[in-house]
Amino acid sequence: METIKDLSFLNALLPLAVIVFIIGIGVVFLNLHFQKNLSVQKLRQEALKSSYQQDLLRSNIHAQEEERKRIAQDLHDELGAVMSIMRMHLMVLEQQSADGTKQLQAPLQYVRQLSETALASVRSISHRLMPPQLESFGLKAALESVTEQINRAGEIKIELGCEAPMDGLHWLVNLGLFRIIMEMINNTLKHAGARSIRVDLFRHGQELVCYYTDDGRGLSDGNTSKGLGLKSIEGRVNSLGGKLEMGNQESGGYYAIVRLTLPA
Amino acid sequence: MSFSETIILLSHVPVLLTVVYAALHYSKLPRELKVFSWFIFLSGVIQFTSLAFWFVSKNNMPLLHIYVAAGFLCLAWFYNTLLNGFIDARIIWSIAILFLLFTTINSLFIQPVHTFNSIALTVEAILIVILALFTYRFFLSDIVKETSGRNISSLNWINSGLFIYYSSSILIFYFGAVITAFSRSLNLYTWIFHSFFSIVMYTCFFIGLWKRSKT
Repeated sequence: METIKDLSFLNALLPLAVIVFIIGIGVVFLNLHFQKNLSVQKLRQEALKSSYQQDLLRSNIHAQEEERKRIAQDLHDELGAVMSIMRMHLMVLEQQSADGTKQLQAPLQYVRQLSETALASVRSISHRLMPPQLESFGLKAALESVTEQINRAGEIKIELGCEAPMDGLHWLVNLGLFRIIMEMINNTLKHAGARSIRVDLFRHGQELVCYYTDDGRGLSDGNTSKGLGLKSIEGRVNSLGGKLEMGNQESGGYYAIVRLTLPA
Repeated sequence: MSFSETIILLSHVPVLLTVVYAALHYSKLPRELKVFSWFIFLSGVIQFTSLAFWFVSKNNMPLLHIYVAAGFLCLAWFYNTLLNGFIDARIIWSIAILFLLFTTINSLFIQPVHTFNSIALTVEAILIVILALFTYRFFLSDIVKETSGRNISSLNWINSGLFIYYSSSILIFYFGAVITAFSRSLNLYTWIFHSFFSIVMYTCFFIGLWKRSKT
């Protein structure tokens, strides 16, 4: 009868070593495959997170704009109407006091002037919250109205080029683009020391492109992603699902290109 | 009844408990555990049928041939569900099909159905150990903890059961043929060890099912 001593090393342990080796190779292969898929899964998760954040931003901006619209309407229609009636009554009282007790006329005139200032303020605030031309006549008319007002002041000249038809745009796209352009104009006025601004709007099928340039100082180095204004522009472009490219022109001055893909 | 026979018989108790528990809670189990329950049901049916054959002194080896092939398919399905999205399903199913072909050829030409299919069992054990070892590494990944964190503890118990049983089986099945040639008592001890590891495996399965996320 054979004994365990007869088991040779090669017969018993070498095949076992081979088995262990096969197991090791198998685990390493699966691990390599897993590492490859892991990066794909991580990218997918990041994309999901980014899409969720974009949705959140979009709904935030949407809610904010709805609220602004409501406040603007309430200010204009309710408070504005009440103040108009108040002014009318004050005018009547003023006329009546002119016939009788003249000592009241001066204070009444003062109160009426105050009410007119308040009425103008209410109108101005409500227009800033929600430009009336934007809803009634569209983006082009709203931009023309704003540029005309700024040009009238004479500090800076804004040229607006908008040959493309802008009808049928969703009000959120109209409003979003309007706010982006306004923020850019505001930045130029505040920081660039520019003498002229050019805004061009083009539409190629479902793509809407806005080119913005000024002849100011441009962005200082490393300032491309800083500042509340620039972040607000980026946020709005992202919320519209668009792309933003900005920087300094070779000839000096700031430039920005906003590309939006409109839903079919 | 001898001591060894009692041990072998006792090794069926955890199987019974696990099968009953899995059947009772099947509808409430998460997807991975539902898939795994099919392996438990299959092994329950095969083990109790072979026990019945043993009682009536009939050769139960053909059942083992079926168990190896069907059991591996169930476990491949389980690991495919578990590693879904991280390991290409084609890799696992290709391994399963190749193994199925191999075990069929083995049962037909190399180790006929009335003999102990140690080669197929060893190959099956190697493949399961590879998958089980990799699954440990898989559970350590942060992204996996984020996505299937609730069931990791439960699945870890099941994976550990499979790893302990199949790694010990590699030794038992591989050396089984060699040891049998030396002495009958040594052969019996081998099967007692096998029964012990089977008890450990089914206890791990039971804990795994018990510790599942109940929310």
